[in-house]
Amino acid sequence: VDESTDADVIASSLSDPRAFAGIFDRHAGVVFRFLVRRVGRDTADDLLGETFKIAFQRRASFARDRTSARPWLYGIANNLVAKHRRSEARRLNAIARLDADAATDSPADAVVAHLDAARLWPVVAGVIAALPDGERDTLLLFAWEELTYEEIAVALRTPVGTVRSRLNRARRRLRELVALSGKQPDDTAAVASHRMTS
Amino acid sequence: VSNTRDPLDSLRQLRPDQGKSGEPNDPWILARERDRLMAILEHTSIEPKPTWHPPAIYPRLGYQDERAAIEFLTRAFGFRERVEARQEHDGHVLAWLEHRDGVVMVGHTQHDVHGIHSPLETGAPTCMLNVTVDDVDAHFQQARASGARITMEVNDAFFGERRYEAEDLEGNRWHFGEPLASVRQRRGSM
Repeated sequence: VDESTDADVIASSLSDPRAFAGIFDRHAGVVFRFLVRRVGRDTADDLLGETFKIAFQRRASFARDRTSARPWLYGIANNLVAKHRRSEARRLNAIARLDADAATDSPADAVVAHLDAARLWPVVAGVIAALPDGERDTLLLFAWEELTYEEIAVALRTPVGTVRSRLNRARRRLRELVALSGKQPDDTAAVASHRMTS
Repeated sequence: VSNTRDPLDSLRQLRPDQGKSGEPNDPWILARERDRLMAILEHTSIEPKPTWHPPAIYPRLGYQDERAAIEFLTRAFGFRERVEARQEHDGHVLAWLEHRDGVVMVGHTQHDVHGIHSPLETGAPTCMLNVTVDDVDAHFQQARASGARITMEVNDAFFGERRYEAEDLEGNRWHFGEPLASVRQRRGSM
């Protein structure tokens, strides 16, 4: 069993570059899934290789006191996603325009509980697309990648307090918009205008 | 369902891969990207240093006081020493001074092997060193203020160059020029 930490592997890769393949073997699958979720399969192919190439080039700057390279790799991958913001936004907005077909007269909270995931997705996609970049990155690293506040702080190079306040804001927007769309599922204009002003 | 329900729960359920994170990735893609990475790793030398190729022709100048010459040439003419290249032996220094893609070697006079003399010994320079600069007027001011002996004031040559000439501490002749097109552009943008 290989008990070396990522920091050990990266340190030995300074004199033996081939050792860096160990970092790929440990984390490439996770990073690839993240990229697929964010930018889609086709672009993720390219960004996966790019992520590890950049990581390799910057390996000397990896902080030795961190045992896991995963948040650091997420940070590099997230920066690459940022260069594809437009395609990400296009994808999300295309989903948001899909017909959330079911009308319901249930109260908002019940709507959230009862609507199946597929019917809610257009609304949520619209919310995500409308978030400021930092909030979207934070939200998705937390909800989809299941990183801790501390890991997100490392990945996005931001204080933990900022991670917390971003998540609070994102929660609030999500709650408001889902509630609004639940009351008026066919009125996408109302969702859109609320999104612009909130 | 209570009101304290985390609104992020709906987002979690809506992850594009429906939360099936245990599902294996396409191994073909990972294998391909791993191969590509290995190709990069295997072609990385342990201490990557940019290889330096000096120009195919470059002069070596001999000075009686090469240390003073190096100090003067960097201060008055703005050359930069390639510090890691400096060699010292027998109490003398051999230095490489760069400007853009050009380089001159500066060392002590070397009579035996290479037959290099200073103009102080021969009584006159035997060559002129031509240098292209970004702002010949500023360069001229800097050189004069640093004590260079000006042998030709700044003037516009018919062939399209603004230039001046100066001697260094031991009498080597330096010619500094800037294309007139560059001068016009520089002045137009001011």
